[in-house]
Amino acid sequence: MTHRTLRTLLAAVLAALIALPAAFAQESEDELVVALSSDPTSLFMPRTSDRTASNAAWSLFDSLVWIDDAGEIVPALATDWTVSDDGTEYVFELRQDVVFHNGEPFDAASVIATWETGKDDSNDYADSYAAADLVEAIDDHTVRITTPEPNATFLTLMANDWAMVPPEYIAEVGLDAFAQDPVGTGPFRFVSRTAGDRIVMEANPDYWDEGLPKVDRLVYRVIPDASTRLAAIRTGDIDIANRLTADQVSVLEGEEDVEVISYLNDRVYYVAFKNIGAGVGTPLEDARVRQALNYGLDRFGINQAIFSGQANAAPGFIVEGNLGYDADLMEPFPYDPERARELLAEAGYPDGFEISMGCPADGYININEVCQAIASSLGGIGVDVEVDFQTTNAYWSEAQYAVTGPMYVDSWSSEFGEALPRLDGALTPGNYYTTWEDEKFASLIEEIESEVDREARAALYVEMHELMREDPPFIYLYQPVIFEAVDADLVGYQPRAAEEYFLRSVGFAD
Amino acid sequence: MLRFLVRRTGESLLLILGVLVLVFFMVRLTGDPVGLMLPKEAPPEQRAAFAAAMGLDRPLPVQFAEYMTGVFRGDLGDSLRQRRPTIEIIGERLPATLELALAALAFAMIVAVPLGLAGGMRPGSGLDLAARGVGLAGQTIPNFWLGMLLIVFFSVQLGWFPSFGRDGPASLVLPAVALGFAGMGQLVRLTRSAVLEVRKSDYIRTARAKGIRERVVSLRHVLPNVAIPIVSVIGIQFTYLLGGSVYIEVVFAWPGLGTLLETAIRDTDFPLVQSITIFLSLFAISIHLATDLVYGLIDPRLRLS
Repeated sequence: MTHRTLRTLLAAVLAALIALPAAFAQESEDELVVALSSDPTSLFMPRTSDRTASNAAWSLFDSLVWIDDAGEIVPALATDWTVSDDGTEYVFELRQDVVFHNGEPFDAASVIATWETGKDDSNDYADSYAAADLVEAIDDHTVRITTPEPNATFLTLMANDWAMVPPEYIAEVGLDAFAQDPVGTGPFRFVSRTAGDRIVMEANPDYWDEGLPKVDRLVYRVIPDASTRLAAIRTGDIDIANRLTADQVSVLEGEEDVEVISYLNDRVYYVAFKNIGAGVGTPLEDARVRQALNYGLDRFGINQAIFSGQANAAPGFIVEGNLGYDADLMEPFPYDPERARELLAEAGYPDGFEISMGCPADGYININEVCQAIASSLGGIGVDVEVDFQTTNAYWSEAQYAVTGPMYVDSWSSEFGEALPRLDGALTPGNYYTTWEDEKFASLIEEIESEVDREARAALYVEMHELMREDPPFIYLYQPVIFEAVDADLVGYQPRAAEEYFLRSVGFAD
Repeated sequence: MLRFLVRRTGESLLLILGVLVLVFFMVRLTGDPVGLMLPKEAPPEQRAAFAAAMGLDRPLPVQFAEYMTGVFRGDLGDSLRQRRPTIEIIGERLPATLELALAALAFAMIVAVPLGLAGGMRPGSGLDLAARGVGLAGQTIPNFWLGMLLIVFFSVQLGWFPSFGRDGPASLVLPAVALGFAGMGQLVRLTRSAVLEVRKSDYIRTARAKGIRERVVSLRHVLPNVAIPIVSVIGIQFTYLLGGSVYIEVVFAWPGLGTLLETAIRDTDFPLVQSITIFLSLFAISIHLATDLVYGLIDPRLRLS
């Protein structure tokens, strides 16, 4: 190669390098780009197996009712509804002149089809649809839905899961094809999807809620790595980056184009006790011992040391933002090792005892450190905790739940602003994640479940909290804080405590 | 040559069989898919129905027999999460991974082979120092860390390249460099030492003694003789790049098999993990076979032994 050709070649390479950045299109202000931390398994709502997928899918669909930012149930595709006196029959008046993205009209048949396709056993969320016994049309725009028993959260459940689907289109293409090319009545319509890469949607020009959505195009980009999401929000390639850590957002300080959002996650971390299986015959059977463990754990110190103070000490299972939560009534157990030792002595364990605690290795952020800190903190009151680290795949399986313990670390999220899913999941006998079985908890949960009146339900939650405090089935640990970063010009974005967000009202400031 | 071919192909087939058996059982050692697939709230009846629908309630030998017959029919099963044939899903992601692996390999070769040759031909020179430095850096810097560094510097600070995704040629540059870096390091060291070795041989001394120009010596006499180790390492590199792209794909949100595998493992999507592993193994075995055959073509001694 002569020097001349070498020079020409170098010049060409340099020119290409300079021209390259122009090759990737800059996003326009009418386009909203949102990062997803994983590729949605499906955009068919009953098969959206995680929050990331359901968040993306909700841009395409509507339900009959909607939960507003204050947690109230408000009309969506139903303009009005009545509930029978016994709380088992709902009659919905449907909005007229609503059409699906393919032109199919929305009517009573759509509600029936939604229920029928949703309750299929093979769906991840079949349960939500099976909560109704019967869905029938009274006329084209009126439907009656019957539940087997009064269900306090039925409307919330509908708002969360029942995404209305077009019956004719589904009958024509089948569920699998529907999931590939979904059609709803939602603020955006599906344009294309590149597996593992992006989902493109455009504004639905015929959307029934006038003035919405606020942007012309919506693009979801799959970015599994949090530090890459962080880089992408800094370069302006995306407008919303969720699931970041406190450390990560700290580098955004002083960046003018990016705003950091943080909020408490509706998830409680806890150490569960067992009064079945491995828990039988252990000191844990005595309520005083379980109280002692709650007093003897320095949850504030753990938050400070492991989460730089960016987590909330959990007062119990009913936490900030939940129905019935009252900051004055519900304070976390104070750190009081003296009181803990007294209680242990009263229970007949003045020198403490040895016990094993399961821990889902790397199952949650910093969980390994948390488990070790628990063991060290409880060591201070003479309780010798042996931490049993297990891989998460093995840990969260039915077989393992039966043998782990007698104590184990876990967490439970809740949605729609009520602690019921968390209580039900962890305390109702027969659920396979329940390892503390006690009639008084179970019956109170049942009462909450069937109490349709919100006020009365709030009072029951307070009662539940007190019960879980006197006779604690868990050591309550903490509630994490979620960090996100968004384009500073973004308006109308309001993620909720269960990491749900809706993009129909999200736009850019002029 | 024919015997060599038949023997190597036979060995490869045995290897494939071993991989199939290993993959099936290893995937099942890691946990119960039903508990992980369904939400925590799912009642026992739904769990049972789900297990039945997915064939997970049958005895392990039956599942294994079905799996093996499926494999021979080219049916690797459906993804538990996406409910589509895994082959179809892999097909969608394969082009992105191949593109990235080829680009990384191209990057590694373009930098490493000339640099290794130059360094080897003039030991102790500035170029040789550079070659040794690059070799060391390539082998010691972890690729995911390099990836993050490249993003921070070239995307966030300079704004030259996109920070993630697959959006045309510009988006290929950073992941290809990050992925190809380790291979480049290995290749540059190997080329350099092969050149040093060859340069000591009698025929090079003879060529020089005949008064042949140095450039002709390197291109006609040195290069062909260092080609054999280079070709074999390139073959190994390529399979490494396919499998090793998991981190890099995740760091750059590159929609290939690596991110797919990562998601499938996280979701405990057994059939998908199984299919990707089988696919990558088949690919690796084929590449090795092809490398051996090419090897045989360029070096007659191997055919005969």
